[in-house]
Formats: sequence, C-alpha cells, structure tokens
Amino acid sequence: MMRTLAIGGFLASLVLFAAVEWAARREGSRIPTLSDVCAYVMRYEVGSVPVGRIGLFGFWWWLGWHFLAR
Amino acid sequence: MEQPHELTVEAPRVWDRPAVAVPVLVCLSLVGGRFASFSTEANLYTLGTGGALIWLGLSNRVPRRPAPYRLGAGAAWWALPVVVFGVFEGATFVLAAGDDFPTFSRLADPLLEDRLIRSAAWLAWLSAFWGLVRR
Repeated sequence: MMRTLAIGGFLASLVLFAAVEWAARREGSRIPTLSDVCAYVMRYEVGSVPVGRIGLFGFWWWLGWHFLAR
Repeated sequence: MEQPHELTVEAPRVWDRPAVAVPVLVCLSLVGGRFASFSTEANLYTLGTGGALIWLGLSNRVPRRPAPYRLGAGAAWWALPVVVFGVFEGATFVLAAGDDFPTFSRLADPLLEDRLIRSAAWLAWLSAFWGLVRR
C-alpha cells in the first residue's frame, strides 16, 4: 500500500513536470520552459563568480554520479 | 569584399552541430551503460564526462543561447512538480522504510541494472548536461 503510494507520487510529479513543460511550449504561453528557468538561475553571479552556473552544474553532476555510479 | 557585420552569420563550429553532437553523446552513453554501479570505471567515467562538461560550461568555448532577463509569474507553475517530488522524496527518505516506502533512487536502481535502460539514462543525463552547458 505505502509502496504504491510512493510510486504513484513519484509518477505524478514526473507527469506534472511533463505537463508544465508542455504548457510552456504552447504558442503565447506565459510559463517559461525548464530550459529558460535554468538559464535564468545560471545568470546569478556574486561579483565575478558565476554562482548559479557552478551550483546547477554541480547539482547535475552529483545527480548523474548518484544514479549512474553509486 | 568585406561584408557588413549585420549581414554575416557566424557558422556553428563543427562539434556544435547536432549531426556531430548527437552521435558523440550516443557513443558516450553506450560506453557509460556498460559500467555497473559502484565500479571504479563508473565513478571515473562519471567524474570524467561531468568534469569535461563543467569545464566547457565554465569556459567560453561553447556558444550559449541567450538567457531571459526576468521570469514572469508563470514560472511559479514549476513549483508544483518540484514540491510534489520533494514531499515524496523527503517523506520516503525520513521514514527510511526500505522497499515498503522506497525513495526515488531505490525505485530506479533495479531499472538501471538493465544495460539498455542504463545507457538511455546516460543519454538523458549527458544530453541535459550538454543543454545546460549551452545556456
């Protein structure tokens, strides 16, 4: 029962990711695509240090290592 | 005769074209899919490919697509899938009930043991990474 709930919850979140991305790609949509959100986050800098870029790259690197190497 | 700057378009570099980038990513993914979890090869390969992409992304060697200067209120919709995922990941992690109430990683691990699915996961990870590098 709890296992089904967990699987259902994760599937629901993945479907929601796809649905929001689909909505963002419609003509005249006011929702930015996930790519635009990431690009906006990566613009964040502290002084000349691209903190947003380093942070997002680091997160994505860790995610790949966690699933594909650990 | 020299062309006015407005009329010239910079040709994409050879390795920046999809006809080159896609086969390279597919080959890298097929190699990555051969390495089992917890192996030294998998660790080194992840560190190597990820490190190379981070180096490309932090240098100015790859042309980037322009980033938006501001996000509209519609960006708040992205909080919905993030919160749903975060609630379930947090709950399964904190309760630590193993296979009875598994985390996302615990659910994904058996799937990733299949070499084809593992290669597909590698392709998704590397493609998204390449997309980030170019933003």
